[in-house]
Amino acid sequence: MHGEYKMPGGKLAVIDLEIRGDRLVDVRLSGDFFLEPDNALHMIDAALEGQPAALSPPAIAGVVAAAVPATTMMYGISPDAVAMAVHRAVHGEQDA
Amino acid sequence: MTRTSWRDHDWQLIHTDAQMPVQHMALDAVLTDEVGAGRRKPTLRIWEWAAPAVVIGRFQSLRNEVDAEAAQRHGIEVVRRISGGGAMFIEPGNTITYSIYAPLSLIDGLPFSEAYAYMDEWVLAALGELGIEAWYQPLNDITSAGGKIAGAAQVRRSGAVLHHVTMAYDIDAAKMVDVLRIGREKLSDKGTKSAAKRVDPLRSQTGLPRASVIEAMISTFRRLHGLHDDALRPQEVADAESLGLAKFSTPAWTADVP
Repeated sequence: MHGEYKMPGGKLAVIDLEIRGDRLVDVRLSGDFFLEPDNALHMIDAALEGQPAALSPPAIAGVVAAAVPATTMMYGISPDAVAMAVHRAVHGEQDA
Repeated sequence: MTRTSWRDHDWQLIHTDAQMPVQHMALDAVLTDEVGAGRRKPTLRIWEWAAPAVVIGRFQSLRNEVDAEAAQRHGIEVVRRISGGGAMFIEPGNTITYSIYAPLSLIDGLPFSEAYAYMDEWVLAALGELGIEAWYQPLNDITSAGGKIAGAAQVRRSGAVLHHVTMAYDIDAAKMVDVLRIGREKLSDKGTKSAAKRVDPLRSQTGLPRASVIEAMISTFRRLHGLHDDALRPQEVADAESLGLAKFSTPAWTADVP
């Protein structure tokens, strides 16, 4: 399953995932955003893995924000943008 | 950290032999670290390409961005760079790419958006002298009335900032959309209408050969910031070759975001 969200004034957040037993699995975040340090990407993937598929976007954003050190720099992407991409992947909504 | 200005530094120019795509990726890592460690003075490097390539951003999905079969058919190597941002389609002579390796002090305290624009003020001046009115389009694009001209990416590591930019000189749009999985909307963002055959803002708006545009850019940088001619050191080349073998040519790196 695939979801994309273009953050207003930012870059594209893309989520590829599967749902197994109402849980998110094989979650992969990608996009043309900027993230430092770069290993924060895999921290976000790992934190989203196994989360309930029914989680609300604000709750997903909370998971993303808590997954990375406070000093992580995000440019063109935000926890909310990732959450929107997850939401769209889960619900099969088109980027709009 | 005290903020430094361009003129506080003794800028070096590297504009040497064409390099293979993997070596370009590795040189960016090595030279950023060398400047961060103080072993190399702040440097402007103009890239020349020995082979065509697709360069994807650090966080882009290889599968989502590149049609691997089309890339192979066109003999185009796919490499992943150390900075974020979007995919670039490179054929020797179709783009102008440069890297600036600077101590972090040059952009100390600047918000990201200002740091991008600050690193490319000289390029906007150079474009102006070539008759192109260009401006910074946040987050990381240089654009003109005729459409997008360039995309920039920054990465901060080991006390230095790498700021690199690829400018569209004369791109074969049909081949680009064959290899990159790029939407119509994005293509139009890259400075062309979907029916256009070429994305050529620098060629069409300057009427100059690529080498002359580069010469003009170097001359503007030299006048504004000072610039001494330099070359890659044998150790830097060797370090980049090792890093290319160990990292940038490996599927583990290129498919790190599959």
